[in-house]
Amino acid sequence: MRFRFFLGEALDSLTRNWVMSVAAIVTVLVSMFVLGIGAFVFFNLQNATSGIRNKLEIEVFIKNTASQDQVNQLGDQIKGMPEVKSMDFVSKDEALQRLRDSMKGHEDVLAALSGNPLPASYEIFLKDTNQTSLVASRFYNNQAVDNSPVADSADNPITLAGDLSDGATNMTVTAGGGAQFTKDMYFHIDNEVMRITDNPNGDTMSIARAQAGTKAEAHTKGTDIYSENGVKTGGDTTERVNAVANYTLIGGSGFVILLAVASVLLISNTIRLSIFARRREVEIMRLVGATNWFIRWPFVMEGVFTGLLGATAAVILVIVVQNSIIDVISSQLSFLGAEAVPTGWLLLSIIGGGILLGSVGSALALRRFLKI
Amino acid sequence: MIRFENVTKIYDPNIVGLQDVNVHIERGDFAFLVGHSGSGKSTFIRLLLKEFEPSRGSITVAGRNLQRMRRGALPHHRRGIGCVFQDFKLLPNRTVAENVAYALRVTGQPARTIRRKVPEILQLVGLGEKMSNLPDELSAGEQQRVSVARAFVNHPSLLVADEPTGNLDPDTSVGIMQLLYRINRTGTTVLMATHDREMVDKMRKRVIALEGGKVIRDEDKGLYR
Repeated sequence: MRFRFFLGEALDSLTRNWVMSVAAIVTVLVSMFVLGIGAFVFFNLQNATSGIRNKLEIEVFIKNTASQDQVNQLGDQIKGMPEVKSMDFVSKDEALQRLRDSMKGHEDVLAALSGNPLPASYEIFLKDTNQTSLVASRFYNNQAVDNSPVADSADNPITLAGDLSDGATNMTVTAGGGAQFTKDMYFHIDNEVMRITDNPNGDTMSIARAQAGTKAEAHTKGTDIYSENGVKTGGDTTERVNAVANYTLIGGSGFVILLAVASVLLISNTIRLSIFARRREVEIMRLVGATNWFIRWPFVMEGVFTGLLGATAAVILVIVVQNSIIDVISSQLSFLGAEAVPTGWLLLSIIGGGILLGSVGSALALRRFLKI
Repeated sequence: MIRFENVTKIYDPNIVGLQDVNVHIERGDFAFLVGHSGSGKSTFIRLLLKEFEPSRGSITVAGRNLQRMRRGALPHHRRGIGCVFQDFKLLPNRTVAENVAYALRVTGQPARTIRRKVPEILQLVGLGEKMSNLPDELSAGEQQRVSVARAFVNHPSLLVADEPTGNLDPDTSVGIMQLLYRINRTGTTVLMATHDREMVDKMRKRVIALEGGKVIRDEDKGLYR
C-alpha cells in the first residue's frame, strides 16, 4: 500500500518532468554503456592473456638443417627436465596446417607461399610458469635449435676482464671485431648460459654468473654469443596484452567516472525540479505530519528509477553491440576469438551501477533542496 | 494545551517576530489571535508547529516541551495539530476526497480506515455531494471546508487556523466560523488567527491581541477593538 503510493508519486514525477527525466536516463545509459563495453574489452584481454598462459609456455623452433638424431636428442632432453609438465612435437606439415586453419577464408595469402617456410617445433608446458625463462635459456646453445650465432669466438675474440672465482659474480666482457651486444643475446661459456643482466653498452657489458667459483680463464675458449630468436616464450605476449588490458582499465575507469559524475548531477537536477514541482505536496505532507522518510521516498524512487531505466537500456545495448562485435570478429578475424561477458555479471554490475547513480543523485538533491 | 513562557523570536537580521510572550490556552478553549499584519500572529503559529525554534523561552504543546523534542518526534507532534490556512493549500489535480485522503495516506493509515473516514468527514462539513469534484470546481468557501475537513479528519486535539476567512466573503466566513465552533464543541482546542473584526466581536470568545510581537491584550469574551 505504502509502496504503491511511493511508486505512483515517483512515476508521476518522472512523467510530468519527462524532458529532464529523459536527459538523465540517457546520461545513465551512456555511462553504463561505456562501463559495459569497457568490461567486455577488459574481459577479453584478460581471457587472452590467461589463454596464452594456458596454451603455451615455451616454443622451441628446430633448425631445418638439424638431423633426426639431434631432434630426438632434444626431445629426450626436454622430457628429462623436472620443470616440464608435458611436451608436443609439431612437425613442419602440422605447423603449416595450423596456419591454414587459422586463416580460413584467406587461402589466397597462403597460396603465395612457396614450399613450407615454417620450422618444426617443440611446444613445452611447464608445471610452474615462473620457471619459463630458466627453462628457455637451456635451449639457447642447443645445436638443433634455430638460433643463429651473433658472434663467434673465432671471428670475434671475447675478452673477459676479471675473475669469477672466489665468490665474485660480476665481470666485464668485451667483444672484439665490431660485435655489438644487445639485450636479446645470451652469453654462453662452454655449456653454461648467462643472460645479459646489465644494460649492454656497445661492445662491453657486465655479466652475472649464477654460481661463482670457477676461474673465468678456463672458459675463454669456445665462447659464443647467441640470440634467442629460436626460442619463444609466452611471457612477452602476455606482458604486452596485460599492458593493454591495464590501459583499458585505467582509461575506461576514468571515462566511466567522468560520465557517472555527469549522470549523478543530472539526476540530482531532475529530482530538484521534481521537488520544486511538488512543493505543495511536500508542504502538506509536512503539515499533516508525514515522517521525513515518507516525504523522501518518492524522490529517492524517482532517482532509482531513472538509474534503473538508463541501466536497463544500457544492458540491452551492450549485449547487442557485444554480440555484433563477436559476430564480426568470428567471421573476419577468427583467430582472435572474442567471448561475451557472462550476462549475469553484466546485469549485476550495470543495473547495480545504475541504481547507485540514481540513489546518489537523489540523495544529493534531497540534502540540498528538501528541507524537512 | 498551549503554553508559551517568555517566548522571544528574533529573525535575522534583528527583526522581532515575538517578544516575551506568555500565553496559556487550556484544553478545549477557543481563542482568537488578533493583530495587524506583521504583529506576530504567523510567528506564533509557526512556533507552535515547530517550523523553527524560538530565540528564547519555552513552548509546551499538549504537555510536550517542543525544545526538548527529538527530531524524530516532530511528525508525531504535527499529527496532533490540524491546520487550516488562508490559501487552503489543496492539491489542484486531486479530487476533494483524494485531498482529504492524502493527509491520511501520508501518515500511514490503512486503506480501510481512509475509505471509512473520508466520506464521514466530508459529510460533516457539508460536502458529501462534491467528493469527486476537483478543488477548482468549488467555491472558495467550499474549498476552505475541504481544508477544514482535512485538518480535522484525524480528530486532532488542537486545530490551528491562520486567517481561514481571509479570502472569503462575510456570509461564507460565517459558515466556516460555525464549522470551527462545532469542532470546538467536540472538545478540540481551536486557535484562530484573524483580523476579521466583525467575526471576533460576534463570537465573544477569548481574544489575544498582538502588536509588534508583544501581547497587548488577553481577555475572555473579548472584542477585536
